[in-house]
Amino acid sequence: MTEPAAADRSTISAPVPGSPGSAPAVHRVRRRDPAPLGAGIFTAAVAALVLAAMNGSYLGLTVTTGVGYAIVTVGMVLQLGYSRQLAFSQSVFMGVGAYGTAVLETKYGFSAIESLLAVIGLALVVSLLIGAVVTRAPGLALALATLLLPLFIYQLATFSGWLGSFSGISGVLPFWMGEDYTATLVQSGVFSAVLLGIATAIVLRVMRSGVGLQLMAMAADERLGESLGVSLRQRRLEVFVLGSVLAAVGGAVLASVQGIVTPNLLSETTEITLLLMVFVAGRKSIAGAILGAVVIEYLTTSTSFISTNIGTIEGIALLIILLVEPDGVAGAIDRLLGRRTDQWAASLRTWGAAQLKTGRLGTRGGGNGAGNA
Amino acid sequence: MSQFLNLFAAGLTSGAIYGIFGACLAVWFRVCNVLNLAVGDFAMFGAIGTAWLVQSAGLPFIAGIVVDLAGVGLAAWLFDWAVLHPAFDRGRGAHGIVGVFFYTFGLSLVLEGVARAWFGGDVWGAPDIWSGSALSVLDFHVQRAGILVIGLAVVSGLALWAYLRFTVSGRAASACGESTLGSRIVGIDSAKFRRRIFIGTAVLAAVFGIVESPLSGYTYLSGPTLSLIGTVAAGFASFRRPGRAVAIGLVIGVVESLLGGYVSSSYNDVLLYAILFGVIIFRPEVLGLSAEPA
Repeated sequence: MTEPAAADRSTISAPVPGSPGSAPAVHRVRRRDPAPLGAGIFTAAVAALVLAAMNGSYLGLTVTTGVGYAIVTVGMVLQLGYSRQLAFSQSVFMGVGAYGTAVLETKYGFSAIESLLAVIGLALVVSLLIGAVVTRAPGLALALATLLLPLFIYQLATFSGWLGSFSGISGVLPFWMGEDYTATLVQSGVFSAVLLGIATAIVLRVMRSGVGLQLMAMAADERLGESLGVSLRQRRLEVFVLGSVLAAVGGAVLASVQGIVTPNLLSETTEITLLLMVFVAGRKSIAGAILGAVVIEYLTTSTSFISTNIGTIEGIALLIILLVEPDGVAGAIDRLLGRRTDQWAASLRTWGAAQLKTGRLGTRGGGNGAGNA
Repeated sequence: MSQFLNLFAAGLTSGAIYGIFGACLAVWFRVCNVLNLAVGDFAMFGAIGTAWLVQSAGLPFIAGIVVDLAGVGLAAWLFDWAVLHPAFDRGRGAHGIVGVFFYTFGLSLVLEGVARAWFGGDVWGAPDIWSGSALSVLDFHVQRAGILVIGLAVVSGLALWAYLRFTVSGRAASACGESTLGSRIVGIDSAKFRRRIFIGTAVLAAVFGIVESPLSGYTYLSGPTLSLIGTVAAGFASFRRPGRAVAIGLVIGVVESLLGGYVSSSYNDVLLYAILFGVIIFRPEVLGLSAEPA
């Protein structure tokens, strides 16, 4: 589930310069790609099994919270890692999801599922409106504009009595009410795991599609993408909307798990935590982003030493990652595994060649076989 | 009229804070095209470090300032040696837009973490440099520390502007930002300029923290907000003009104060950020960047 090496997956027949009859480059993307669905089901199943095994313990609550963050970071992989869209508005859309859920449930009597569907629609509309404006801005301007968003939305929430001011809104319903607290936590956790699986499948599907290739071209060089006929504004907007909607779903999950929404969710601190979850684990890896979210959420609540010094630890980890392996822990593992599999492949080739040679020697009774190729 | 003047003076004081951080960011960005998101944390260390050295360690005020500034300078040098030098001189690690933001973002996290572990979550303020009650002319009142803050911001902005515009060293520093390779070809040591200006702006931010902290007080979390507002002020100065960053910072501060006085004291920051957001989106050319055609 790491960044798809599109060139490996797709069929590319690049022309050889000067070679007779070289065809124009054709880049086919498999229309019925089973990988996204498989990855989504796998992710949901593993997360659900882990949460079921924790049986409503405190650790289970922490992991479910991590799953909520993971839904957001999966979207950030597409936005920040894959498309290199430097937007820092995810905490704002988490707030849209969390506050939307809380308001609809506590003030308008919506059920948990109804409010989830409603906030997805709300996030879609809001992100389309904001995205239509902010995605016009070039790189640094987009980053600056979206840096300002958490600042003023946070202040808006803290001074708004309707949104519960500093104390926020409590009494948010869990997704799936069980017989007791433990059953409720497990069932809601499983539901959150399913949402994470869906998010994984959608993002992976986009990354492995023709649109994903266009995004990759844009990320590498916008002019190159434009010259290939990619509509930059449209693709930027689509990525922004998808990332924002997933952030809103993540926010709804967090609200449902914790039962309360406070303005802290909208603050720049949340945005910083999200960035660390993505960058330390691997900004181009969906698996890395999921694990990063769960592990960092666990670390921040595990021991008092770690929770007190989490800023220092995260900062040092980020600097080491940036210097040593910019693609994060997932990138380092990928490279390590790649080297290992390359070694295995080389050994296999050597062994195969030796076997072939022996076989030829055995059947033909001598000769080096060079002329038999 | 007196209300307007008082709001104006308060706005100039807070604007000077934005402006000086904008200037620090702009001058370093001009040299190496990287945003110093830790500049607010250096100010926080200046303020809290001096307060701690004087109040808890018992050092005299001047000695506390000297030790604190030396510590900030050393921290900046260490960061350059351990992170920036390998990244930008030896070509290791992340580059491009990630490098622009995230190296100093990592430093900011480390500085905050160290400050939290060392100084705790209390509010600290260095002793007054110019002690005494607020200066008053009729109904117009201004804090003495506020006058120092505005003065320091204006002097620093002018000095940085003059350095970049009128000195050979300043022009060489600017050349590094235009093209690192080109500047090296003509014999300019870009690493030296990057390091010196990084350390210099870190110390300047710390001085500012010491002068300003009697007014507002600092906690270990004060840094990021200062850096963020400084980034916005620097952005409006095209990230490259420190003098203009100070002027923009002063304007932002005055607008914020007037909004608070005449429109809403609760929503003044919301309105200010909304205005800045609108300017960035609809007039990105003021940032030295152009919008795409609609």
